Amino acid sequence: MPVPVPVPLLFWICITLVVVAQLLILRSTVRAMRASSSASARRTIEWAYAVVPMVVLAVVLVATWQASRDHGTRQDMEARANQTSAS
Amino acid sequence: MTADTAATMAVREPSLARDLIALTKPRIISLLLLTTLAPMFVAGTPSWAVILWTGIGGYLMAGGANAVNMYLDRDIDHVMARTRLRPIPSGRMAARAVLAFGVAIATAATWLLGHYVNVLTAALALSGFYFYVFVYTQWLKRTTPQNIVLGGAAGAFPPLVGWAAVNGRVDLASIYLFLIIFYWTPPHFWALALIKQHDYGRAGVPMAPNIWGEHETIDQMLWYTVLLIGLTVLPVTFGVFGTFYLASALVLGGILLQGVWRIRALAARGELWTAAAWKVYKFSLLYLALLFVAMAVDRHI
Repeated sequence: MPVPVPVPLLFWICITLVVVAQLLILRSTVRAMRASSSASARRTIEWAYAVVPMVVLAVVLVATWQASRDHGTRQDMEARANQTSAS
Repeated sequence: MTADTAATMAVREPSLARDLIALTKPRIISLLLLTTLAPMFVAGTPSWAVILWTGIGGYLMAGGANAVNMYLDRDIDHVMARTRLRPIPSGRMAARAVLAFGVAIATAATWLLGHYVNVLTAALALSGFYFYVFVYTQWLKRTTPQNIVLGGAAGAFPPLVGWAAVNGRVDLASIYLFLIIFYWTPPHFWALALIKQHDYGRAGVPMAPNIWGEHETIDQMLWYTVLLIGLTVLPVTFGVFGTFYLASALVLGGILLQGVWRIRALAARGELWTAAAWKVYKFSLLYLALLFVAMAVDRHI
């Protein structure tokens, strides 16, 4: 069943939510790390733990952007084909 | 002693069979199985044989991982009230027997999945086993308050297993199912960790509430829930799901967000938030189950 919301709008709302939330998670993690009295080597590792999911997420979001664009193009082509066959 | 009391005692009396089942953590596996089987119906139309073998293989692999986890955590399980009655700390089973049982059923699962389903499915299930045992239990769990965040990947393998069982590959849609479970894990598990933080503290497990404090943990639960809602909707934008799933994801996500927001509001006012955290913990289980059911239903309407 097709969604009743413009897909590009839905896409950018979701991207905004995901990116803002991920940045707030990072800010909160950094704040928590600064507040704790762990050694600097430990902090570097904790930094890496916080950044790895962000990098993976960024790669997936880029792939999603391409997939979403391809999906939109396919839908446009189908709509045009339907119009042509109807006329 | 009445007949009823005697019957109840007979049912609850420990037995080897009951302990072996307990080692696999069947209640946790029921959700893992749902998140394995539902994606199979999203990926395509699986045969009954593939569903059966994937289900059996998935149960044995997850059960094996849970048994090995109990072996590795045997030094702290007796400290925590939540885990004190497990077969090893209660003295009902020898630690080595538990390890052998876990490795044996995980090996059987690898063979079953590789032989009756496909090699990729077996490899993904085995990767989940290794991740849970070595990366989460042995490495992250006792060293970082971000143990649950990264360790969430272990519980996120089932949809990849189910997807690969039907399609023989992993693609963007299946990676989304993985990410949904990955980002669902912190708000789900931290709700429990908030309630059991003293238990974890006694065992020396550095859970986020013990290291970062309640305020920072609850804040992160909120941001993870917001991120999760965005992630659950994104597959709609490239045509994997339609309106039914979109509505389900938004309603379920809204309820989860409201629950986490309530914990935060109660904590900010200095009021007791334990009941609200329990509600979030329990609802988050239902949330994931219903979300995955909605995915399967959406693909077939």
